[in-house]
Amino acid sequence: MLKNHAKLERTAIGFAFAIMLVASIGGFIEIAPLFTISETVEDAPDMRVYTPLELAGRNIYVREGCYACHSQMVRTLQDEVERYGHYSLAVESKYDHPMLWGSKRTGPDLARLGDKYSDEWHVAHLLNPRAVSPQSVMPAYRWLLRNELKANDMPLHLRAMRKVGVPYTDAMIANATADTYGQANPDSGAADGFFERYGFDSNSRYFDGDKRKVTEMDALVAYLQILGELTDAADQTAGAANLENDAEGATQ
Amino acid sequence: MAEGENDLHTGRKTTGHEWNGIKELTTPVPKIVLFFLAVTFLVSLLIWVLAPTWPTGSAYTKGILGIDQRTSLETSLKRSAARTAPWRNEIEQSNFETIAQNTELMKTVRSHGARLFGDNCAMCHGADATGGIGFPSLVDDQWLWGGDPSTIMETLRVGINSTNDDTRISQMIAYGRDGILTLEQRRSVGAYVRSLSQSHEISTADIEKLEAGATIFAQQCASCHGPDGRGMQSVGAPNLTDDHWIYGGGSADIDETLRNGRHGVMPQWEKRTSATDRKILTLYILDLAEGAQ
Amino acid sequence: MISQLTKTEREIALLLTILLAISGSILGLMGRGDLLGYHGALLAIAGYALTFVLIKDHFDPEPGPKRIEKYYDDPIKVGIVLAIFWVVIGTFVGDWVAWLLVFPDATFDAGWASFGRLRPVHTSGVIFGFGGNALIATSFHVVQRTTRARLADRVSPWVVIVGFNLFCLMAASGYLMGITASKEYAEPEWYADIFLTIIWVVYFVLYMRTLARREEPHIYVANWYFLAFIIVVAILHILNNLAVPVSFGHAKSYSLFSGVQDAMLQWWYGHNAVAFFLTAGFLGMLYYYLPKRAGRPIFSYRLSIISFWGIVFLYMWAGSHHLHYTALPHWVQTLGMTFSIMLLVPSWASAGNALMTLNGAWGKVRDDATLRFMMVAAVFYGLSTFEGSFMAIRPVNSLSHYTDWTVGHVHAGALGWVAMITFGAIYTLTPWLWNKERMYSNKLIEVHFWLALIGTMIYVFAMWNSGIIQGLMWRAYNENGTLAYSFIESVAAMKPYYVARAIGGFLFFLGAVVCAYNVWKTIQLPAVAAKNPDKPPLPARGSPTALSAAE
Ligand code: HEC
Ligand code: HEC
Ligand code: HEC
Ligand code: HEM
Ligand code: HEM
Ligand SMILES: [Ca+2]
Ligand SMILES: [Ca+2]
Ligand SMILES: [Cu+2]
Repeated sequence: MLKNHAKLERTAIGFAFAIMLVASIGGFIEIAPLFTISETVEDAPDMRVYTPLELAGRNIYVREGCYACHSQMVRTLQDEVERYGHYSLAVESKYDHPMLWGSKRTGPDLARLGDKYSDEWHVAHLLNPRAVSPQSVMPAYRWLLRNELKANDMPLHLRAMRKVGVPYTDAMIANATADTYGQANPDSGAADGFFERYGFDSNSRYFDGDKRKVTEMDALVAYLQILGELTDAADQTAGAANLENDAEGATQ
Repeated sequence: MAEGENDLHTGRKTTGHEWNGIKELTTPVPKIVLFFLAVTFLVSLLIWVLAPTWPTGSAYTKGILGIDQRTSLETSLKRSAARTAPWRNEIEQSNFETIAQNTELMKTVRSHGARLFGDNCAMCHGADATGGIGFPSLVDDQWLWGGDPSTIMETLRVGINSTNDDTRISQMIAYGRDGILTLEQRRSVGAYVRSLSQSHEISTADIEKLEAGATIFAQQCASCHGPDGRGMQSVGAPNLTDDHWIYGGGSADIDETLRNGRHGVMPQWEKRTSATDRKILTLYILDLAEGAQ
Repeated sequence: MISQLTKTEREIALLLTILLAISGSILGLMGRGDLLGYHGALLAIAGYALTFVLIKDHFDPEPGPKRIEKYYDDPIKVGIVLAIFWVVIGTFVGDWVAWLLVFPDATFDAGWASFGRLRPVHTSGVIFGFGGNALIATSFHVVQRTTRARLADRVSPWVVIVGFNLFCLMAASGYLMGITASKEYAEPEWYADIFLTIIWVVYFVLYMRTLARREEPHIYVANWYFLAFIIVVAILHILNNLAVPVSFGHAKSYSLFSGVQDAMLQWWYGHNAVAFFLTAGFLGMLYYYLPKRAGRPIFSYRLSIISFWGIVFLYMWAGSHHLHYTALPHWVQTLGMTFSIMLLVPSWASAGNALMTLNGAWGKVRDDATLRFMMVAAVFYGLSTFEGSFMAIRPVNSLSHYTDWTVGHVHAGALGWVAMITFGAIYTLTPWLWNKERMYSNKLIEVHFWLALIGTMIYVFAMWNSGIIQGLMWRAYNENGTLAYSFIESVAAMKPYYVARAIGGFLFFLGAVVCAYNVWKTIQLPAVAAKNPDKPPLPARGSPTALSAAE
């Protein structure tokens, strides 16, 4: 053993190969099966993709580093499901490239945020968190309402997402820019066919309350409003009944 | 390997190699290291046998305990449900007055209600439920949709202008934006509205304006806010004669209300909370309101 | 410095800088209209500037044949100075970020000054800027001294140093502008990732070539760790950063993987960035500078072997402890937990090996703040790995995850271990590199030591407190079985600890400034010609010895 090691120490290339080999084992055994064990990601036939506006909002969420303070992953722990709602399923972040599960909760978890507050509240909160939540330590994001949303390259974004496996259709890609503006500007008629493409449950509103322009605020709020709403899979998992009935109130 | 020299301090030999003056001793691996390596391995082995661990291609070893984080969670939720069942049942089955008189139950209402309110409602209505700009106070004895407990509980279930199928719907018309009233007309009806709650001094110079305002009010506004401006709970139109304002009672605020209208949104809580929790919340805010008066 | 390069080396260097200028320009042109354009411009400007310098000094006299009798230390000096630059910047931003949680409105209504964008400037600044430069510089130093061979050539060390720092600049400036891939510790976007991959391959090849030229039959332990650091970081970096760019004119890309696979890959990376960047590399440092400074032989060669392979093998399984109770399947969590527990043994074996090496030199530890830095580092290394293994146990993690406890653990490791061992190495190395008798002021080293130690203690204790309180508040129940606190109450409860942390952090930052000053003054001391213990004689080159031929 010691002799062999003494030999290994005398060859740089051998040593390098040994390191590569020894270091590869763990990752391989833990990661490869995540692609082959089918129950890893649940089925969710009703799962919808992000609309271009929501995707743009998600990119703003990434850009501003919201994930540094907010998780999007309700763990399978009693206190968490009681506070935030049903625990997160793998399928719920199936179209998340990258995932935003987070590792720190300076602020609360956002996995089930969608539809919890009004658009007006989100705008007020993002403009000045302390106006609605005096003890908050969250930064203000006033520029979001000033910056108009740049969406002319949304088709490229959707195409890149399709390359990594998100089922955007040709029609979605072709209409991506119009859909982005149209979703935040429902009276404009810019997004004819938007609901056909993305489902009649999707939201089309003046998210930022400003009808004159489509801002980054529109996009971010549109994104925040569908967190946890892309699929109902969580309500249908085995045991979901327990979460709702047996433990009455064991939600939120 | 070539044996090196003796190290004076430890009495060990060095390995005989030297790198720019650094030498190594041949000290054997301390037993304790090997011992702990064995212990931690055995502990791990035990855990591997008990819990899901090793992938086998398209499946994985389930472990003889048959546990999984999701089933463990369900177990703990069931246990918790059993523990809270007594008071939950009692709250579910009793009517509001009975609960309000039961000090034991009200203790639960206050502690659980405070947490529910803090995590869900305080963001809009404020930690003490006194509201803020755009969000009504819940402790001011003024109710848009009615202040009896079952009405409040229903408001919580469906929300206002929310995504619930049964949502309460209300809208303050955008008289300016939609070109129904001119600026002049809006000014006078605004002044009239402010006079209702005596929120400003009225000078004689205003009299004419107020009269014009009163006429417009009767034509345009009374259908919702009532002929005397005391509001109508059937359409969620607020009372304009008190000095509680959702959006503020200054002339600029009222101008804004009249120009662009209002469309306050109260989210639905049916999807997020159980009926019991909504009942507790109702009792909680009524209790707060009582405390505030 | 260019006078150290031969004519051919100057030409190769010129070619490379022109290549950098051209590729920067192309990137800038493709990325005009996007934030990418700025980074193209950054690379182009760097390329043109370096080209200019190279052309300007192109006709300087060539170095004589004597050059091969000396170690090639210029890039090391630059690396050390850059490391010090980055630690001052990085801890300054760290403390700024800490104060932002006390005064959240101090953002001047500007995007770049908000918490979410500054935080990665801090993490990348200290880990990559400070840690990375320190590792590169010390690895160049250690590999030459322990092999008694010069660096294999004189161009690639510069490619590594300059390239790596350009990467760090792209990272930090990118976050401020809003360019980030959001994967923790892997935030830079695709083009920066590709750039770093190239730099890293050059680093690896240079290291291997230098090892191949060694005059010592055996490769010293420190080099095992540096090698593991270089190799494994390459593997991690490439796999975790696989992504499809929106276009070649966009900075933005979408990760190749999504959801649960992406999460596992990210934390396999994230955890092993800790293991191979913040641990293995710095163990390499420890294994050279500590015995050198203490003048003692390594306590046990056999223990070195076990702990090295234990660390290389076991660490790679532990990443899933960052995902306990999440949507990651339970079986992976079990693996992560159990391997983290086993990992404690080789970790403590390393710490123990270092501390036992000090046997016979404790008097020095008492008197010499530099050695004390390294001793304390080994202690904090032991402490943070113990804490880490403990936090990796699922039920413990259910409390600690998402809280400041993790941040406390991070900084016990980062401040106590990573930064302290580096300061020890810097104080050991600086006089050697610049041929000085000693550091400018030993008093200031002493001052720095106490600032760093007290700062670290305040930071870590504050975060343990806040983290555990936070975790307990989130899961506290009333006697009727309902949750006791709303989330915002836990936010409010953190305030005093955030203030304390920011004060502790400020002390630590001050220490870094003192270090910078001391090093600066040392460089200006008159050089001494006395025989330098750092320079084992270099054998004459040209006739390959039997050994390197056998490689
Ligand atoms: C410095 C940390 C920090 C950053 C960065 C941050 N937040 Fe927050 N966030 C908080 C805290 C603390 C709270 C709780 C108090 C409050 O409501 O403001 C919070 C609350 C929230 C809430 C309310 C959640 C709920 O369920 O009550 C939302 C929504 C939110 N943040 C969104 C964002 C978005 C979007 C971003 C990025 C653009 C962001 N946050 C960045 C700290 C942060
Ligand atoms: C997104 C912000 C928001 C949140 C969160 C919210 N509310 Fe409201 N709530 C409102 C607004 C806005 C109104 C008034 C709607 C209107 O103006 O027509 C309202 C109205 C109400 C009313 C009716 C008041 C009346 O006079 O009839 C009650 C009761 C109420 N909220 C209770 C709650 C409770 C309890 C919660 C938490 C479970 C809650 N609200 C959460 C925004 C919110
Ligand atoms: C279609 C019904 C309707 C009509 C007609 C109507 N209102 Fe309203 N009004 C509402 C509702 C509903 C609200 C509450 C909106 C909310 O809370 O979002 C409201 C709110 C207001 C407020 C704000 C109250 C506060 O607390 O801030 C004022 C002022 C007001 N109305 C004045 C008027 C005047 C003056 C007119 C006539 C020119 C008028 N309204 C006509 C339904 C109506
Ligand atoms: C002056 C000293 C320092 C201060 C004041 C400081 C402050 C901070 C703060 C405030 C955070 C954010 C924590 C949060 O999100 O709540 C942070 C994160 C971090 N810092 Fe530091 N830091 C310092 C030094 C360092 C050093 C020297 C290193 C590494 C060598 C380091 C590595 C990190 C890492 C890795 C994180 C991310 C932690 C996580 O995501 O859990 N820090 N630091
Ligand atoms: C035996 C060794 C170690 C083990 C088992 C270990 C384990 C852990 C665990 C369990 C977490 C918390 C994960 C979570 O809940 O999110 C963590 C976080 C972290 N540890 Fe360690 N740790 C070890 C050593 C170290 C050392 C020496 C450092 C040096 C700096 C370090 C740096 C970090 C960092 C930066 C994080 C934060 C990651 C993030 O969330 O951003 N760890 N570690
Ligand atoms: Ca983190
Ligand atoms: Ca808009
Ligand atoms: Cu880890």
